[in-house]
Formats: sequence, C-alpha cells, structure tokens
Amino acid sequence: MSNRSLPRLLQTPAVILLLIWMLVPLSLTLYFSFIRYVLNNLRRPEWTTPSFSNWRGFGNYEFVLNSKDFLFAIQNSLLIVGSILFCTVIFGVLIAVLINKSFPGQGIVRVLLISPFFVMPAVNAVLWINMILDPVLGLQGLAVNGINDMIAGLRSTPVLGAFFSLWPEFEPISFRATQTSAYAVIIMVTWQWTPFAVLIFMTSLQSEDQQQKEAAILDGAGAWSQFRFLTLPHLGRPIAIVVMIQAIFHLSLYAEIEIVSRGNGNKNLPYLIGEFANNNIGAASATGIFAVILANIVAIFLLRMIGKTLME
Amino acid sequence: MGQIVLDKVTKSFGETQVIPPLDLKIEDGEFAVFVGPSGCGKSTLLRLIAGLEDTTSGKVLIDDEDVTQVSPSKRGLSMVFQTYALYPHMTVRKNIAFPMRMAGMSEQEQEAKIKAAAESLNLTDYLDRKPGQLSGGQRQRVAIGRAIVRDPSAFLFDEPLSNLDAALRVGMRLEITEMHKRMQTTMIYVTHDQVEAMTMADKIVVLQAGVIEQVGSPLDLYHRPQNKFVAGFIGSPKMNLIEGVEAEKQGAHTIGIRPEHVEISTTEGLWQGTVGVAEHLGSDTFVHIHGVPGCDPMTVRAAGEFSVSHGDTVYLTPNLALLHKFDDKGLRIE
Ligand SMILES: Nc1ncnc2c1ncn2[C@@H]1O[C@H](COP(=O)(O)OP(=O)(O)OP(=O)(O)O)[C@@H](O)[C@H]1O
Ligand SMILES: [Mg+2]
Repeated sequence: MSNRSLPRLLQTPAVILLLIWMLVPLSLTLYFSFIRYVLNNLRRPEWTTPSFSNWRGFGNYEFVLNSKDFLFAIQNSLLIVGSILFCTVIFGVLIAVLINKSFPGQGIVRVLLISPFFVMPAVNAVLWINMILDPVLGLQGLAVNGINDMIAGLRSTPVLGAFFSLWPEFEPISFRATQTSAYAVIIMVTWQWTPFAVLIFMTSLQSEDQQQKEAAILDGAGAWSQFRFLTLPHLGRPIAIVVMIQAIFHLSLYAEIEIVSRGNGNKNLPYLIGEFANNNIGAASATGIFAVILANIVAIFLLRMIGKTLME
Repeated sequence: MGQIVLDKVTKSFGETQVIPPLDLKIEDGEFAVFVGPSGCGKSTLLRLIAGLEDTTSGKVLIDDEDVTQVSPSKRGLSMVFQTYALYPHMTVRKNIAFPMRMAGMSEQEQEAKIKAAAESLNLTDYLDRKPGQLSGGQRQRVAIGRAIVRDPSAFLFDEPLSNLDAALRVGMRLEITEMHKRMQTTMIYVTHDQVEAMTMADKIVVLQAGVIEQVGSPLDLYHRPQNKFVAGFIGSPKMNLIEGVEAEKQGAHTIGIRPEHVEISTTEGLWQGTVGVAEHLGSDTFVHIHGVPGCDPMTVRAAGEFSVSHGDTVYLTPNLALLHKFDDKGLRIE
C-alpha cells in the first residue's frame, strides 16, 4: 500500500457517510419529482405508491410552474429575504458600533440585546402578531388609539384646534391582511435576527486595530470618515457571513408565515411545498428542486455582490 | 516651523501618575530622540504631543501657540507608528492619499504629491499593492510616505523600526536621518535602542519613570552623564559602575568607567581578575571579567582580536582621565 492510499482509506467512511447524508434525500426528492405520487386518490390508487411505472417526466415541474402561486412565492421569498437581510445588517452595524463604546451597564445591555435570538420562531411570531402588531389588542392598536385620543383632545384647544381638526383619524394597520402579512414577517424576523448580526459585528469591532483609528484621526478623518473608510471595510467579511447564513435560514421560513396569515398573501417556496405536500408529493418535490436552484442562485449572487462591494 | 514646548505637562491614568510635571523644549528643525527603559512613558509623551492623549495638567505649545485643547488633526503633526497602522483595505496609493483626501485636496495635487513621495521612498512600483502584499520595510516606508504628504510641522515616530530585522533597521535608520537632513523638519523619535538614539539624534532626552534624567547631544551624554542612570543607559556595552574601596580611593561613592576606557593586559595592571566570557566580534573583543572588587563582572572592550579564554588571569588599567564619579545620590561629581 503506498503512503497515499492509507489516509484515503481511513477517510472513506466519513466521506461515504457524508455522501449518503446528502445524496439520499436529494435523490429521493429528484425521483419523486419525476413520478406521479399522491397521498390519496380514489380513482387512481396506483399513484399512492412511488414507482417508476408512474413516470411523469417534467410533468410535475410544468404543473408547479403553471400553478398560480409559484411566481408569487419566488418573488415573495426574495422580498422577504432581501428585506430581512437589509434591515438586520443596517441595524446590526448601527447597534454594534453604538454598544462597542464602553458605558455603565454595558454587560446587561449586551445580554438583553442578544436575548431575542433565544426566542423560538413560532413563539416569536405569536408574540408579535397577537401582542404587538394586533390592530385592536396589540401595542400597535393601543398606540394608534392613544394618538387619536390625543389629537381629539387637541382639537378643542383654542388656537391650535383648527389646525388639528384638519388631521385625519389614524387607522391601525392589520398585519394579517393580504397586503401586509409579508411585512409582519419581515418585522418579526428582523427583530429576532438583528442580535445575531450584532453579536458577529461586535466581536469583529473588538478586533479592530486602534492604531489605525489613531492614524486616521491624525490624518484628519472625522467620525464618519473613520466609519466609512476603516470600520465598514473591516466589517466586510462579517457582513458577508451574516448575509450568507441568514439568506440560507430565511429562504426556508415557515412558522412565521403559517402563524401570521396561513399563507394568505404571503407565501414562499417552503410554504408552497407544504401546501402541495398535503397531497401531491410529486409537485412538492418538484418545488423542492426549484427551491434548491433558487437558493444556489441567491448564494452565488450574494457572494459576487458582497465580494465586489465590500472587500475592495 | 515646528518648535514644540511642553510646559509642566503631567499625565495620569486614573490614580497612577505616569508623567510627573515635565518641561521640555524642542527647537525647530531638531531631531530629538526619547529613550528610556520600557514603560517609562516615552509613547505616552509622544501621544500627548500628538493630541491622542489629553494632558492631565500643563500646556503643549507648538510654535508658541497653545494647542493643548486643539484636536490632533489640527496640530499639523504626522505620526508614524510601530505597527505601521496602514489601512489594510486600501492600496498604497490610497493610503498615501488618505490625509490629502481628508483635507479635500484636488486630485491632481494629490497625484503629484503621491508621485514625489513614492519616488523619494522607492515605492513607485508598489503603488497599486495592498499593505498585506508588502514587506515590513516597505510598509514602514508607506507609513512615512503617508506622513510626508501632509507637510507636517513635525514628525513623530514611535519606535518605527522595532518590527524590522537588524539589517533593514540599519538601512531605514539612514534613510530617516537623510530625510531629516533634506527636509530640515522637526522630528521626535521614540526608541529604546540606544544605537538609534546615538546615531540619529541632535538631542537625546533620557527618560526614567516619566522623569527626564538628562537632555543633551549624544556625545554630551556619552562624555558627561549627569547621573548613574544615564551613565548606565547610554553606551554599549554598558559602563562599569564600581562601588566600595576603589571608588572611595577616587573620593566618590560610585565610579564609572566605560569598557573602551580600560586597558587589558595579560601581564600587568592596576586590577586583577579572571576571564568569564570573551565575545569575539572580529573588530573588537568584549571580555567579561570576574573578581575585580566592587564590580562583578567588569566588561572590557579590547580593539581587534584579543586571545584569552575562560579562567585566564588578566590585569586591567582604567584610564583615570576618563573616569566618571558619582556621589551617594547617584549624581555626577565634577
Ligand atoms: N491607557 C493606559 N491606561 C493605563 N495605564 C497606561 C495606559 N497607557 C500607558 N499606561 C502606563 O503608562 C506607562 C508608560 O507607558 P508608555 O506606553 O508610555 O511606555 P513606553 O515608554 O512607551 O514603553 P515601551 O518602550 O514598552 O513602548 C506604563 O507604565 C503603562 O502601563
Ligand atoms: Mg511605547
């Protein structure tokens, strides 16, 4: 045995295990996506067991592509993921820079800031949609009512009354509605994942070279220039990490969408898969393959974009 | 112009006073070197001048103007750091351009200055590289380039060469000295390497625990150290300090004699001792001798090759005209 083949041999179990780990689910999904496979069909009971004799070719894919929700689900996936990434990175950078300065109570503030990350997604969704965003009972409803009451009170004051009577009555927003349910999901997931971004950015900020800052101060750079030319490039890599990890996680959001509106006006590919999987496993698998393709496209696109703009 | 005056400057970090009240004047165009053991406050002093630290009390004056409350960038000083402090995401060109960009200088003017700086520092071929792709010496040259383009009234160097290897250090030392001769700008240079201090300085400031022990030209410090600390700190190898009977014979508490001012012989002399270690450098031989009363070991420098080995008996004769005498407080006796 040459001295190369022994290490190879020792690696094989791990490699084989990994291959099985990844290949089996993927091949099963591929297989199901090319056959007719449903859970329940009284007229064609043979479709309820997976078999090559039910071969459908690209029929499932065609079916999914032509279903009315498919394009919407893709668009909506991108909207949700894009918005969450944008908000978490901006808030994450701002908060991390803010709490990087030392101040009294720093430890407690940091722990509190991280805590949303430990809330379970479903709990997070229930909490937000019922207790905060609810137009009647939630904080939102109470706040809007309070503002309306205040304006009503101001209407009767002598001088400014005329001005305030021009103001409309504010309407609370219903976040379970078709038009707004996606925004509810964006808000609650942003709240939950900003701490993750803060955590990563904060560790990175702590490794920032202080002498570079001092050199920049002597070179006449103000606070903004230091942030723009030193801190932001320094955060390039962590931002890329945060964006990549979150993109992978948020492409598969499910619990929040289910709890906020049961997919009403707000579907993504995983949710669509869930709907198909109620009966049509073939279509669900085809959607799954589309989801894999979408995730890859998003990942490549993000890598390119981040590589270009931030690493320079 | 670049005359820098420190007027009763003090600095405390919390309770601990690092710099007790300190007065110092550095003339325009002078090359001043701060030397002292580690932790004596050299960097702190430099940072006080730069404005990176606030003084606890006292005043900093540049060209007779009180700049104690002036922000670092408005003081017109450039600083070169030990770790170079280059901006890692920018090319060499952008690094050098950064202070000019911050000052809002026009592109053409920037380009002309970058070109001039790059030429004088041999960086022309590296302008489009990032700092990570440069050697230590090149990085330090970029840092100097970034300092030059601001046309500062004074340069501040904080141990700029201590991250370089010995050969490069000698080269860069010469370059900086030549730069000073050419530009005639005030430079303050912090180092704990006394060879750098001796070779570069117009004026050496010896510090210990935040206190100035002596200010003077290199040869001044070499020939007339004001106290035992300076005597022991300046000169390489270190001055031999002898206490006890031999010192009392000379009417002093301590006497000091430099290794190069002692004659060594295998046959006769004033003092007798045995050879410990002999360091043969070719040009010189440093011999460490045990058994001389009041000083163990005594170091002697013999010119050229001097062949002795461990355990040999040798005789030493100091050149009494070049003897330094110190009283019981460690101060020089004339
Ligand atoms: N930010 C700080 N907080 C508290 N103490 C400090 C601070 N900076 C420096 N010191 C203390 O001040 C003293 C002088 O430090 P300084 O950095 O000026 O020494 P130095 O002469 O430059 O030493 P070295 O040759 O090792 O660079 C040291 O005792 C150090 O511990
Ligand atoms: Mg220092």
